[in-house]
Amino acid sequence: VPYRFRLSALCILGFVAVGLMTLRASAQSQEQPQAQLDPEHIYLRDCATCHGASGRGTNRGPTLIGVGKASADYQLSTGRMPLESPDEPSRRRKPAYSEETIAALVDHVATFGGGGPEIPKPVLEGADLGLGGELFRQQCAACHSWSGTGGALLDREAPTLYQSTPVQTAEAILVGPGTMPAFGPAALDDEQVDNLVAYVEESIRHPRDRGGSPLWHLGPLAEGGVAFVLGLGGIMLIIRWIGERE
Amino acid sequence: VSRQGTEAAQPDAIVAAERRAERRAALAFLACAAAAGALAVVYWRGGNPRVEGILLGLALGGLGVGFVTMGQRLLPQGPVEQERHELSATEVEEDELEEEFERAASVGRRRLLMSALAAAVAGLGAAILFPIRSLGPKEGGTLSRTPWRPGMRLVTDDGRPVTVAAVPANGIVTVFPEGHAGSADGQAVLVRVDPGVLAPKKGREDWSPQGLLAYSKVCTHAGCPVGLYQAETHQLLCPCHQSAFDILDEAKPVFGPAARPLPQLPLSVDAEGVLRAQGDFSEPIGPAWWNRR
Repeated sequence: VPYRFRLSALCILGFVAVGLMTLRASAQSQEQPQAQLDPEHIYLRDCATCHGASGRGTNRGPTLIGVGKASADYQLSTGRMPLESPDEPSRRRKPAYSEETIAALVDHVATFGGGGPEIPKPVLEGADLGLGGELFRQQCAACHSWSGTGGALLDREAPTLYQSTPVQTAEAILVGPGTMPAFGPAALDDEQVDNLVAYVEESIRHPRDRGGSPLWHLGPLAEGGVAFVLGLGGIMLIIRWIGERE
Repeated sequence: VSRQGTEAAQPDAIVAAERRAERRAALAFLACAAAAGALAVVYWRGGNPRVEGILLGLALGGLGVGFVTMGQRLLPQGPVEQERHELSATEVEEDELEEEFERAASVGRRRLLMSALAAAVAGLGAAILFPIRSLGPKEGGTLSRTPWRPGMRLVTDDGRPVTVAAVPANGIVTVFPEGHAGSADGQAVLVRVDPGVLAPKKGREDWSPQGLLAYSKVCTHAGCPVGLYQAETHQLLCPCHQSAFDILDEAKPVFGPAARPLPQLPLSVDAEGVLRAQGDFSEPIGPAWWNRR
């Protein structure tokens, strides 16, 4: 193919891509108006079918009385709720509502009563990453794997932690959403939760990769492969050059 | 420039080639000096592991390239032969060797020596028989007992007593007998379920106050820590071989290679709300062993 055709094809592709992205952006901005609805209306429209109009639960979904703000905020901010249908597996999606709407919905759910844990405020400043890492390997790594990629359970799975914000991580530890058990003050005190959340935030979600290129965090096999091919290959070439006779 | 070429060429061509090699080696050594100097400066100015690594690599690499160039181009090239002396033995040496052999053949006729050797072998054999007794079957009950005693408090791995209030619904805590935090035999998983879903079997009715259940954390298959708890399905999972235990049904195995249920720790709650054990586990913990009944 002649050079100038390839160049023009590339240009056309570029224009199409930019056009598509603009369309997507404008489509997203058009979704916003629903934020103007009041939380009670949204609750009745999206949640009450399964959880009941006053949060007492139905045969399709559990009660929301006493779940606490932490649980409601976790489920809504991770996009796990609302579900399209009660049989749909609960997994992380793009949140269905804006942050303000989620906060209003969480407050609305709290009006059903029963108390429950408040949204935690993890303090990452001054947290001990070393202790956090030890706690992570003791309490979390069995299910979420030591690198936080998640793992398979029995007919269930532990999700990856890469998308979990500090508040969401602290909420999950506190309330134990879904399959996950709750880690109360006997298992982890507040300081330990802070250390743990800091470890997840700084060492799992944003590792500093002091060794240079992380190779997309593919893990030891990829690193070994690169060391084998580039490292050993380079050494072989050098050995050949040293032993060369003129 | 090939070897044959330089040999056939005029001496001043060789001299020119050697001068080029000398310049190349000198350049490599100077590069080493420059990189080493830069390394010292970078370290002095606060350091940067990546830059320091690259500079150290350049310095050592320059030194190496210089040495190899020196060795290949400026030092005499082989191959060089050295004559060896004659390797065959003289007639006198052969006779001496023969004499030695004949002397060794007479050792078998020395009776004192032979019987002493037999005594040594017999004694050693008898001594080996005694440690065999140590392999015997009596483990003295150490395998079937753990540190748990009636009334002992449940503590976390850092020794804090576990209260009922500190374990939320669907909660999980790894617990140890007080005074034995970190004990491998005594470790147990404490979980809290809705008391409404509990239907304890006969003899275990008062083992799970307020929905709190404790089971040995040592898998009955291969002894791994059974630390994964699926709160929704009330199952404890072993990460090693995926054995699953139903904690609502005496932790009987429902999946995987484990054949025995996890031993249960009978619990009670004292006046201060602290959890205590009613006694040791319901059966010996961990995998089976030779005389486990």
